[in-house]
Amino acid sequence: MNLTQQVINGLVLGHAYALVAIGWTLLLGVARLVNFGHGQMYMVGAFVTWWAVAKAGVPYALAVPMAMAVGAVFGLVMQRVMLKATFEQNLVSIMIMTLGFGYVMHGGAALVFGSTGQILETSLSLYEVNMGDLWFTGQDAAIVVATIGLFVGLKWVLDGTRIGRLVRMVAEDPKLAQLAGVNVRRVYYGVFAFEGAAVAFAAGMVAPRTPILTSMGFEEVIMTFVVVVFGGIGSVKGSYFAGLALGLFTALFGALVSPAYTTAAVFLVLIALLVLRPGGLSAGAAGAH
Amino acid sequence: MINTKLRYILLPLVGVAILAAPSVLGGTGTVYSAAVLIAIFAVMAYGLDVIVSDLGEVSLAHTVFFAAGCYTTALLSTRAGLDGWGTLAGTIVVALGLALLIGLVTLRLREFVFSLVTYAVGVVAVTLASNWQFLGGSDGLRGIPPLDLSFAGITLTAGNDQELWPYAFALLAITVYLIDRFRHSRLGAAAIMTHLNPRLATMGGTDPARVRLQVFLFSAPISAAAGWLYAYQRAYVSADVLETYFLILMLTAVVLMGRRQLLGPLAATALILTQEKFFSLGGYVDKIILGSVLVLILGFFPQGLMGLAKPLQGLFRGLRRPAPKPPTTSIGDIK
Repeated sequence: MNLTQQVINGLVLGHAYALVAIGWTLLLGVARLVNFGHGQMYMVGAFVTWWAVAKAGVPYALAVPMAMAVGAVFGLVMQRVMLKATFEQNLVSIMIMTLGFGYVMHGGAALVFGSTGQILETSLSLYEVNMGDLWFTGQDAAIVVATIGLFVGLKWVLDGTRIGRLVRMVAEDPKLAQLAGVNVRRVYYGVFAFEGAAVAFAAGMVAPRTPILTSMGFEEVIMTFVVVVFGGIGSVKGSYFAGLALGLFTALFGALVSPAYTTAAVFLVLIALLVLRPGGLSAGAAGAH
Repeated sequence: MINTKLRYILLPLVGVAILAAPSVLGGTGTVYSAAVLIAIFAVMAYGLDVIVSDLGEVSLAHTVFFAAGCYTTALLSTRAGLDGWGTLAGTIVVALGLALLIGLVTLRLREFVFSLVTYAVGVVAVTLASNWQFLGGSDGLRGIPPLDLSFAGITLTAGNDQELWPYAFALLAITVYLIDRFRHSRLGAAAIMTHLNPRLATMGGTDPARVRLQVFLFSAPISAAAGWLYAYQRAYVSADVLETYFLILMLTAVVLMGRRQLLGPLAATALILTQEKFFSLGGYVDKIILGSVLVLILGFFPQGLMGLAKPLQGLFRGLRRPAPKPPTTSIGDIK
């Protein structure tokens, strides 16, 4: 086994995890919402991209924005239904509702796209870069570039723009923010639309790496959760580095121990994290940063 | 609110009606099969009901307890040759062990962190069940013998759904009784208090972590017992007993009628299974229906279908005597 190759795989995988998690990072940081339908939104994003490229003949560069638009609409619909519960911070209802949405998306996707696996091929995924023993695809490079770009962009928007300030105000205290004249409802809608679009974007970028199935999505939720917890809830920078660490761990564990039990191993890491820093979970929940 | 005396007359009547229902509804194999599944899935949902409705947490690991019941039964009956009592005892022991393990790990976790960890337990369980050869791997475990609960010379066996129905009904009746006793017990009261105001509970001398663990230990064997009977009903077990379907079914059963309604999970399971077995629109559409019902109930009718019926109750009351002032809060408001 070539260790350098595994490190490259881990870095690509890590950027992919961070990219898939970015929407949830903001969602949790700003609205204290969790989305168990996240994995199914990823699945829908992957299938919309696949459908646009393979069936409708749309160029890949246009298919990804299409998937993002669909993701944003799903996010808006979910937030509309959950708005009352969001304002009440009724987490029990919100969690169950997002699970329900995920289930509906699963059934709907299987109905529309069929239950057989598909391969999403792009010109980038067919382009291989070889350097001696080492190799990666153009898609891998695109994932890394897109992830860094999106994280830098999000950090800049949150820290340096008026929209970012409003979002941080809502994250800090929604009730007081409302008194201060912030349209909290609009921020919640915006954050959920971002979550939908971001996870669809991630799917459009990452899904060409693996076969896509309508039954996928569960592992994405766990990986995202580990990224968000490990990075410090709501922390954009933390999520990026947590994603990288998780990617390296997964690649090395898969290569050295067993690929079948990677999820189980990640779960053990998660438990260890929770035992080691249980206080960090709530302390970091103060807002998006 | 039904008063206590009325309950003692009504509940047995409801019980007899339910027991006789499959034969009144035609007595065909399909009807008995649906009835047995309704009873099994309702018992599975009752296990989760006390966690969601009383403790106020969302455990997503209850499919694991259900699956643990299925797998324990399959292993003990096919490899150790145990009868129904032996597999039931094994199921309860395994469920308690798992609940203790998960409960201790998640003892200090609350809200979404608790739910996410229990969700992860479910996903890891799927990986284990489909890869580990001891559990049959992707093929599952086959050849589970018919249920045999014979003792002291009395033969009690069930080879088909019609014969299985009295046992499914008995399991359901025992479960409803246990849930009712739980809600009238000190532990039940402590659970509600821990849910609504953990600080107050601590002031009153209750240890919230201890209460959570105890309720978890009470609830896990209930869902597992449903798995025990399900293994006999299907005669084989595979990783599909961990499918999201069971989780969504349980959650819908808990919230559809309104929380903390004693017969709520049973009525909801009956409604869902009736749709799926007799008015099915295909697997995928059924999924969309079940998921949508769950989402819409919580999004727009958080008090469940019973909450919708409340204005009607007031109407009937109004015919007899002046309408009472509507209560500002009710048990259905607890979330």
